[in-house]
Amino acid sequence: MGQGRPVPNVVLIALLLAGVVAWLTLPAVSVAPNRIVPGTPLLAQEALGWGVTLPALVPMLAVVVLGWRPEPARLRLALALVVALLAAMPLWLSAAAAALVEAAQARLGIGAALWLLLFLWLLALIELRARLALPRPLGWALLLPVLLAWWGCLSLWLAPLALYREYQGRSDQFLDAIGQHLALVGAAVGAALVLGVGLALAMRRYAGLRRAGFGVLNFLQTIPSIALFGLLLAPLAWLSARFDWLAALGVSGIGWAPAWLALLGYSLLPMVRNTFVALDEVDPAVIESARGMGMSRRQVFLQVRLPLALPVVLEGIRITTVQAVGLTAVAALIGAGGLGTFVFQGLGQAAMDLVLLGALPIIALALIADALLSALADCLRQGGAT
Amino acid sequence: MIELFEVTKRFGEEVAVDGISLRVEKGELCVLVGTSGCGKSTTLRMINRLIEHSDGEIHLNGQPVRTFDEVALRRRIGYVIQSTGLFPHWTVARNIGLVPRLLKWPRGEVRERVEALMALLGLPVAEFADKYPHQLSGGQAQRVGVARALAADPEILLMDEPFGALDPITREALQHELLDLQARLHKTIVFVTHDMDEALRLADRLVVMRQGRIVQQGPPLELLHEPVDDFVASMLGGEERGLKEAALTRVRDRMLPLGPRLLAHERVAAQAPLHQALSLMLWHRVDRLTVVDDDDIPIGELSLRRLVGSKS
Ligand SMILES: Nc1ncnc2c1ncn2[C@@H]1O[C@H](COP(=O)(O)OP(=O)(O)OP(=O)(O)O)[C@@H](O)[C@H]1O
Ligand SMILES: [Mg+2]
Repeated sequence: MGQGRPVPNVVLIALLLAGVVAWLTLPAVSVAPNRIVPGTPLLAQEALGWGVTLPALVPMLAVVVLGWRPEPARLRLALALVVALLAAMPLWLSAAAAALVEAAQARLGIGAALWLLLFLWLLALIELRARLALPRPLGWALLLPVLLAWWGCLSLWLAPLALYREYQGRSDQFLDAIGQHLALVGAAVGAALVLGVGLALAMRRYAGLRRAGFGVLNFLQTIPSIALFGLLLAPLAWLSARFDWLAALGVSGIGWAPAWLALLGYSLLPMVRNTFVALDEVDPAVIESARGMGMSRRQVFLQVRLPLALPVVLEGIRITTVQAVGLTAVAALIGAGGLGTFVFQGLGQAAMDLVLLGALPIIALALIADALLSALADCLRQGGAT
Repeated sequence: MIELFEVTKRFGEEVAVDGISLRVEKGELCVLVGTSGCGKSTTLRMINRLIEHSDGEIHLNGQPVRTFDEVALRRRIGYVIQSTGLFPHWTVARNIGLVPRLLKWPRGEVRERVEALMALLGLPVAEFADKYPHQLSGGQAQRVGVARALAADPEILLMDEPFGALDPITREALQHELLDLQARLHKTIVFVTHDMDEALRLADRLVVMRQGRIVQQGPPLELLHEPVDDFVASMLGGEERGLKEAALTRVRDRMLPLGPRLLAHERVAAQAPLHQALSLMLWHRVDRLTVVDDDDIPIGELSLRRLVGSKS
């Protein structure tokens, strides 16, 4: 270690070495004659031979070596290599598709090794971005070549990829599903925000409401989601039968109405709690001096309390949104649409690739929402507070 | 001028302030001292109506504070607290300009005023204007707090343990700055502190409180010499009152002109407080000091007998 030499970056080394093991020992792809029959798993060397498998180790081991003495210049090189590896993956898959898939019905499945590599290399990318202190936008820009490579390969050579076949069979439905998913999340989080802030404000004013409010919200949070959807079924069905205008709006025991209500119920607690705590925990000395300087109640709230609480409120919105993206998947069970539809269809038909077609975008949406809202909170914090 | 007539504050059953009467003349610096929880902060907050008094009357320049709009009233009264209460999301300049902006001064005037105040409090504009409070040291933050309180040139300043959280050196520096400011600005100041040395150094009028009541008030020397009871005597330092008094007297007030004798070797500044001269004598084990002026030129001498003021 001495002489100011940087300490080896253990995280990077471990990630890449784990990748090497996965690449050599886990199935990289599977080939199935049709949709339902489970595919035959193949190791990388079984798929394309050692001639491709071993050279692929060179960049992986190079990153390990670079991570041993992580000076900035070497880490930048490592970053380039990791991006290249991520971008090379669809090319390798294309080659595998060309070599292994002959029949028109046959499908190529992505194996455990590749999933794991995707995961490990993305983590390596995150680690390198943090070490090099690259600004967020640049971090996202790094993903651009990777996405381009995937897009290019998918449209040119990866037609036999099972996941892609599932998508192609439903490309319209897929976009609709994303739209429904986002609409439901947006409507629930938006309503939770308005209601939640209102409720938090009321709770701050009336101590009695505080205990009752948190009691009810905590209780709601503990009901399992499927049970909550079920509980809403009967009353909503009854309401829509009673009131024509509700039925005309599309309200019924199943569909978007109970899903939205349930999501709203789950979203309220984190929203109210964060808003309440955020507003309540603003330093009393700051409030006292604001009043002492002669700010009116309104000015104290709008110019001092609210701006100081905002980052924590935003944190509530972030938690709520990520949670709602996941819960909306379950809402597909009661016919609310969204990406969960594919997951449950796939489960019903034992078609894992269809499950993935629903699950992967859900994960992606959650990650994107998380990243965007975190970035926004960072921007707000830049004002200097805390 | 601030006047309190039989002012009482009750929080439910508890009486925090119990019928106190007090008059702070214009330009006077009045210091409140007393044990923790005796109602000093409450008294201060009743003056700017952060707390409404339960009984009695509080007058500013002869008018009851209840007749003022409370927000307008507070904009006319500077308020400084121990934890500064600076807005963490605003820059130093914006913090200082708060009250002028509330009073809708034109933008240019606000800026001029902020810069003038920063200069007054030794905060270089180029260095500090765009900093955020968390980037300041405790002493700098408290200077900003004082500047903010002075921003709209209020006649009255209320200060609640403003220097309580600072180290002794910074605290003393700020005390001197406050005295300098006061010599120039002649504000009417009510100042709360726990530090008796600070109280004696700053006060024109010292008010000793206990359990919501005023036990004694008057000029510091008067309280030192004639405490009404043991509580006041012990608040003011008990057996150490001699040293406290010496801290209020300057060497130049006791020295004798240079005599025919040889100059004593050890020197003391004419401006120094008397207890410092005593400390020098103790330290060097001598009973005579040469008194020098600001330029270190001998202008007199001080003997132990003169220092203790014995008559002969
Ligand atoms: N908002 C309030 N509600 C209820 N009781 C209060 C309130 N503010 C002060 N008190 C009580 O009034 C009494 C006087 O409090 P105050 O803050 O004026 O004391 P203090 O002399 O400033 O004490 P310290 O030197 O510790 O700051 C205390 O017993 C305190 O508990
Ligand atoms: Mg106090």
